[in-house]
Amino acid sequence: MSAQNAADAKTSETNNTPSKEQQKPTATLEEDDEFEDFPAEDWAEEDTELPSGNQHLWEESWDDDETNDDFSKQLKEELKKVDANKRS
Amino acid sequence: MEAILGLFREAVAEENGHKLAQAITPVAPPDDAGRLYAFHRALNVHNIQADLRNEIIYKNSVRLARTETNAWIEVFTCYWRAIGELLAVDGAMNQGKRVDWKKVYEAWKELLNALQRGYTSNQFEAWTIPCLYTSGKYLRNFALKADEQARSVEGNVTYNQGLQDDVVSTLGKNENLQDAARQINRIFGLCLSDRSALEESRKWGVYYVTNLLFKIYFKLNSISLCKNLLRSIAVSSSDMPPLDAFPKAHQVTFNYYSGVLFFLEEDYKKAENFLNEAWSSCHKDARKNRELILTYLIPCRFVTSHKLPSPALLALYPRLECLFGTMVRSIKRADLAGFDAALSAGEPEFVKRRIYLTLERGRDIVLRNLLRKVFLVGGFDPLKEGQTEADAVRRTRIPVAEFAAAMRLSLGQNNGEVLDDDEVECMIANMIYKGSMKGYISRERRMVVLSKGASAFPGTSL
Repeated sequence: MSAQNAADAKTSETNNTPSKEQQKPTATLEEDDEFEDFPAEDWAEEDTELPSGNQHLWEESWDDDETNDDFSKQLKEELKKVDANKRS
Repeated sequence: MEAILGLFREAVAEENGHKLAQAITPVAPPDDAGRLYAFHRALNVHNIQADLRNEIIYKNSVRLARTETNAWIEVFTCYWRAIGELLAVDGAMNQGKRVDWKKVYEAWKELLNALQRGYTSNQFEAWTIPCLYTSGKYLRNFALKADEQARSVEGNVTYNQGLQDDVVSTLGKNENLQDAARQINRIFGLCLSDRSALEESRKWGVYYVTNLLFKIYFKLNSISLCKNLLRSIAVSSSDMPPLDAFPKAHQVTFNYYSGVLFFLEEDYKKAENFLNEAWSSCHKDARKNRELILTYLIPCRFVTSHKLPSPALLALYPRLECLFGTMVRSIKRADLAGFDAALSAGEPEFVKRRIYLTLERGRDIVLRNLLRKVFLVGGFDPLKEGQTEADAVRRTRIPVAEFAAAMRLSLGQNNGEVLDDDEVECMIANMIYKGSMKGYISRERRMVVLSKGASAFPGTSL
């Protein structure tokens, strides 16, 4: 949880070699994690639609331009302190 | 016997490959549980050839060529032997005796080989290829059973005898599965290399067999062998039917495994394409498979497009909610501490599914969202004379100290652990380098100068 971790995360991204090595799977997946045989060999297009429809299943990672959530409020407080420090 | 060879004659008359495959399955149908036993009892070593000949030639309304008949007799003789071994295992299990899956495996391999000889000598037409699917599929199952058994025996050896560790560990380790891979790989060649016209080509079996091999190679951790299959398919793609002409079950499975392959190679763009295809054609009731597709598609999208699964999507799959829910919410909240905690809490599971390193990259999105929040909270530059609200411009010069304060807050650092400003600058520089944020750092002024207009955080609305 320290900055060290963050720095490590960065090196593993920029440097592909060690991460590839780490990614070499050591534990095989258990049987129950295997892609299952489908009961039928073929099916119609409508059988691929989820009941809820295939829409709205993904979203952007930011909420919106909201600045009134708890975190933003805390952040505002925090930034005021930074400002105050600078002035003093 | 009638049940099985009757099915065979019917299938031949109709040229129905799936029906034919049912005649050589090692699993009795639920409505006729005694089928295999009855078949095995009806024949014996001395009369089997004559009896099969009678069933296949004389009772048959379709006249098969003599050589083809012989090939089928061979197949059913092997089938009969394999069923014998299988029933022996069943019996031994019922009596609590030691079972021998290796014998079942070996006998079943003979069946697969008999089929293969039928194809290489051009006795069997292409419509019969579901027989290869069934025999291949169960060859793998029996190999797994035999290996499992070998491992349990090996376990006993280590306890009982003073064998050296390295001797023991080389014994029975997926030996049968590796052998099965070699057999099925020959079937792959048999399908891929068929030069007959497409309508009657074994090429229609290529993807089914490929998928079977994918399953085996994944189990054996031989990812490079999977790539060999993809290369072979690519080489003959010009005279192969397009993937979408194949049954959906073949397509979806193939796209899933290809997607995971590229995922493991960190080629996330390609991985996403394959996984998307798999997702959009997957049967709606195939819950487990959908879950597996998403297990890789979700981390993939973190990297390729910074997109997250919606709460509605996660709500459909409780296992995925459990796996990714906290993490996704932390990303949205720009909560570094929450993200780090979720990553380490799920680590064993993530590592097992080989998604840990990809998920780790989600931290960049948290950071991006966090920096963006600082920008948002920063508000607007004071209006100059003559400007109205509509001309308001967001403050684009932000002290590094503000970002540092935000990061400390997000990391929950109030226990003396302090992130120093140089590290903060380094992270900001990284975000700029990766294109998540546009601007530059003015080191003399210890300021970040962000791009003006609606482009400081590309891909977001700002």
